[in-house]
Amino acid sequence: MGRMKFLCDAERCIECNGCVTACKNEHEVPWGVNRRRVVTMNDGVPGERSISVACMHCSDAPCMAVCPTDCFYKTEDGVVLHDKDKCIGCGYCFFACPFGAPQFPNGQAAFGARGKMDKCTFCAGGPEETGSQAEYDKYGSNRLAQGKLPLCAEMCSTKALLAGDANVVADIFRERVLRRGTGAEVWGWDAAYGGGEQKRERKREGQS
Amino acid sequence: MLTKKSAATAGSARRLRGAAARPLGQTMDRRAFLKRSGLGVGAGAIVTQLPYNLIGAADAAAAGVSRSDGPAEVRRTVCTHCSVGCSTDAIVRNGVWVHQEPVFDSPINLGAHCAKGAALREHGHGEHRLKYPMKLVDGKYQRMSWEQALNEVGDRLLRIREESGPDAVYWIGSSKHNNEQAYLLRKFVSFWGTNNCDHQARICHSTTVAGVANTWGYGAMTNSYNDMQFSKAALYIGSNAAEAHPVSMLHMLHAKENGCKMVVVDPRFTRTAAKAHQYVRIRSGTDIPFIWGMLYHIFKNGWEDQKYIDDRVFGLEKVKEEIMTWTPERVQEVTGIPEDQVFKVAETLAMNRPSTVVWCMGQTQHTVGNANVRAMCILQLVLGNVGVSGGGTNIFRGHDNVQGATDVGPNPDSLPGYYGLAAGSWKHWCKVWGVDYEWVKARYASEELMTKSGITVSRWIDGVTENKELIDQPSNLRAVVYWGHAPNSQTRGAEMVEAMKQLDTLVVIDPYPSATASMAAMVRKDGVYLLPACTQFETTGSCTASNRSIQWREKVIEPLFESKPDHTIMYAFAKKFGWADELVKNIKVDKDAQGWDEPNIEDILREINRGTWTIGYSGQSPERLKLHMKNMHTFDVRTLKAAGGPCDGEYFGLPWPCYGNPEMKHPGTPNLYDTSKHVMDGGGNFRANFGVEKDGVSLLAAEGSASKGADLQMGYPEFDDVLLKKLGWWDELTDAEKQAAEGKNWKTDLSGGIIRVAMKNHGCHPFGNARARALVWNFPDPVPLHREPIYSPRPDLVEKYPTHDDKMKFWRLPTLYKSMQDKVKNISSEYPLIMTSGRLVEYEGGGEETRSNPWLAELQQEMFAEVNPKDANDAGFRNGEYIWVESPTKARLKVRAQVTQRVAPGTVFLPFHFSGWWQGQDMLKYYPDGAAPIVRGEAVNTATTYGYDPVTMMQETKTTLCRVSKA
Amino acid sequence: MSRHPLKRLPVLVLAGVLSAGLSACGEVPQVTVYEQGQYRGKTDTRPWEDSEFKGDRAAWEKALKQRARNQSEYNRIQ
Repeated sequence: MGRMKFLCDAERCIECNGCVTACKNEHEVPWGVNRRRVVTMNDGVPGERSISVACMHCSDAPCMAVCPTDCFYKTEDGVVLHDKDKCIGCGYCFFACPFGAPQFPNGQAAFGARGKMDKCTFCAGGPEETGSQAEYDKYGSNRLAQGKLPLCAEMCSTKALLAGDANVVADIFRERVLRRGTGAEVWGWDAAYGGGEQKRERKREGQS
Repeated sequence: MLTKKSAATAGSARRLRGAAARPLGQTMDRRAFLKRSGLGVGAGAIVTQLPYNLIGAADAAAAGVSRSDGPAEVRRTVCTHCSVGCSTDAIVRNGVWVHQEPVFDSPINLGAHCAKGAALREHGHGEHRLKYPMKLVDGKYQRMSWEQALNEVGDRLLRIREESGPDAVYWIGSSKHNNEQAYLLRKFVSFWGTNNCDHQARICHSTTVAGVANTWGYGAMTNSYNDMQFSKAALYIGSNAAEAHPVSMLHMLHAKENGCKMVVVDPRFTRTAAKAHQYVRIRSGTDIPFIWGMLYHIFKNGWEDQKYIDDRVFGLEKVKEEIMTWTPERVQEVTGIPEDQVFKVAETLAMNRPSTVVWCMGQTQHTVGNANVRAMCILQLVLGNVGVSGGGTNIFRGHDNVQGATDVGPNPDSLPGYYGLAAGSWKHWCKVWGVDYEWVKARYASEELMTKSGITVSRWIDGVTENKELIDQPSNLRAVVYWGHAPNSQTRGAEMVEAMKQLDTLVVIDPYPSATASMAAMVRKDGVYLLPACTQFETTGSCTASNRSIQWREKVIEPLFESKPDHTIMYAFAKKFGWADELVKNIKVDKDAQGWDEPNIEDILREINRGTWTIGYSGQSPERLKLHMKNMHTFDVRTLKAAGGPCDGEYFGLPWPCYGNPEMKHPGTPNLYDTSKHVMDGGGNFRANFGVEKDGVSLLAAEGSASKGADLQMGYPEFDDVLLKKLGWWDELTDAEKQAAEGKNWKTDLSGGIIRVAMKNHGCHPFGNARARALVWNFPDPVPLHREPIYSPRPDLVEKYPTHDDKMKFWRLPTLYKSMQDKVKNISSEYPLIMTSGRLVEYEGGGEETRSNPWLAELQQEMFAEVNPKDANDAGFRNGEYIWVESPTKARLKVRAQVTQRVAPGTVFLPFHFSGWWQGQDMLKYYPDGAAPIVRGEAVNTATTYGYDPVTMMQETKTTLCRVSKA
Repeated sequence: MSRHPLKRLPVLVLAGVLSAGLSACGEVPQVTVYEQGQYRGKTDTRPWEDSEFKGDRAAWEKALKQRARNQSEYNRIQ
């Protein structure tokens, strides 16, 4: 078994926010905490693309590296989890994370009102007894222990968001790449095979 | 400084503690520190009392209920929001809805959900629901008991009936009722004695139903979301499927990945347009010139399917005359679209067949709505795309059961099944209902009123305020019952509150108070009642998705708080009004968990089966439908057909028409009018509904054109006993069937024998085999013509393409066209911007239900208007600032400006899901305590204007005028 | 040892040069290897341990693989 990963197919994402509410639903995530968000680029003009982002469960997670109380751990399947009992709400992981995954419940004061950090758990719960009320209250559902995958991906309206073993996810995406063929339909095709440096190179050599 | 409680610390921690602790005088326990942080309180969200500021159970019901206690029961249901019909599994423990799981097996959604579908479980929380009956007393809503409510409301309505006749009460029904409730409501209103009932279809796809049905027989989506996977090209015009029907995009994007070309035509660059190969920006309200412009190129290049036209179309020559006058220059003048773009769309559709078209409100909500939809039908007929898998006119309907409510529910112009209101229709239904026709007739004020279409929901306000002499019924409307319908989806909101003031009684029956409650409390002191109905998750029943598949919902939880299912409320009122027995003559009545009488849902569906032959709602028995829901995985995703398994050979949900009685086992019809299949395999042809000939030209299909395997391989009229006898097939009926079928036709033969013999024995279609009508002679414009909207930004074009003449008695009311358009012809000098409205993915309809769901509300917290940077700069405001949007009604909306290039200069877009603000003022205090939606905002329809379709009274919401200014 | 502290300087410089020369031996590994063991929180069980899978890792992996098939509609279409 490889590591668990998310992949959001930007060609399919329609910014429906199904992943966002599925997560809220499954874990009773309160207002103000956004474990998953959809980010849209070029909103309203041709070239508009959306991607759903939550915790990337990095191999070398910056959050884990900087935490002063070392409350993070990484499971064998690559899921990055943390112990809320150890978390002091300092917010350093929030500084470190390039994706904005750590969330803090809104306080009523203007400053310094962070509570315990909360973030996407890949629906793998946390360091409490599996399936217990305590685990649910602190971290949400543990779907992995039930043989299920994160609800955000399972409920995605266009199956843009994929989650699971990285090899399996890659296989699913690969099939779509093959079907789409070449050109703009294939995500990244231009970057790899057509745009930028390569295009200029070819022009210089007298090719079209 | 924080101290670590843990004993197992490494040396460094101890050193840290020691070193840091010294400078500060006191140490603070971490528990105390964290307690002071406080957990987030969103606007109206729930605060947890747990010590560690953890995520806690968010609903009162579930607090204390462990998520692993008790056996888990799985109840399969269908989303209550849009018409795609996504299934979901509800996991219930100890009567509490604790989880929601995707139903991967469903061939329709394959487990997928949009934001609304993924948030359904919140219905089991219902924090902002209407919890108990309430009454407006001196401007504030006070609680009352059900008994009091039923008596008071009942007495008031009876008094009004006594004083002014049954037509003085308007019953606004719902597209959110399931089929059984919608059907029962039509019966209920008939026994009350009026046709003054309606539902959301009026303001949604009424023009579609009328226009399309009058073209070729049925006014529904011809193919399905799934069938679009066979399309080689798809044109979305006036449809923002990515936001209005998100899961339909699963099928479309899959098709696109496999080569389908996608074109989007819309005044806005929508999220759907972002996924298209080609996007065309069109001026709102100019669809016919664009469609004719495409057909101009199609004819010029010989891309039409001449054989198809010769075999199956009537009257195209006359239409072609009009089409060929729409030269590219003329098209560009009116629509703003250059020739090359129009040509490219036409080429894409013609060169990549089968091609399909999709339209929604962008086409229907206009004063030319009926003509728009017919132009689309003509386009598809010319290309030979109708009755073909991958082609068709794929009309995406709105609410979850608007299709079902249209088919069998509270329509002002028909009894269930589109039978109409003629005496014959009444006799048919009275037979099915088991009641005496004379008794029902006596319930009405007169036979004339019994057979006359009622007022539409889009005009109920005029029924109240219009001069009594000009209304085509004995009195004005004095009471309105908003039964599962929002008020902020109808135009002219500013006038609506005036009408609310004048009403004697206003009743809301809804799971949420809805904007009706707040609007009424804003202008009245009393006479308003709120009765809590429960949602579709607290009852069982069937609902019809846009593709005509019927799905069965299991009951997930018991009704929350004091809410009751709509059919239970109907029966309670029927008891009050004295005809409870008649209402449920052939329907068993059970006792529910609270001891109330509840008409049995399965029995109601069986009654629908026994009476609705016209559109084939006769074969979908509760047993067959439940079997489909249990065996979803056996159905193929593209064809919807089950290969093997208990439902072998049937199409998922037995999409209507599913002809004949359940015993005949018709498999349902996945694609309408498909001659490549046998009628007993879902095949068909166009309907013979308009006679056999017109002006000497035959209306029947040509020789050789018929459904596969039909014994009659040519056109033929609809079947009745006379035709059966002529063909010599009469004796194939059993004696019992002969008795029932004598003197009847296939629609009124309660035995189903005529249908059985025609279809099963001879492969013929019971409704005949005719041509589609490109020329609809009974419509105001037999050939669809472009007419400028009432509020047009182009006075010069209003001169060239004026609207219709005024009508004096139209759906019982005087309706203005030309006089209104002339009056406001030059108003665009003061209101230069086109104001249009539409949907957001997070909300549905009037919005009070979805805006009361914190998971959805957090995603769209403010009402806004999309304004192009040019218009924003001209008006002097920036992105994010408050602005006033004013319309010629003088109503003003205070909304956030979203400055974006999504809209072109000259167009302003506002979502229509908001309510709860009135011209700058938050209406929170007018809602019952604890039952206001979390997010409130201006309702765009407060400021929308007069304008109605001349066939269906559809409101012109998509094109009016406005101006914007900084607030 | 000599009494003057500066006389120790050449020795110190020599020691510094030698250690600098040896610095290449202590290279930082190029591959990121996660070092388990710094986590100070509660212990957690693996998903297949105290759940319905009763320690059967292979069955759990199989279940997940099967479940992931639902995320591609191609598995159900043709």
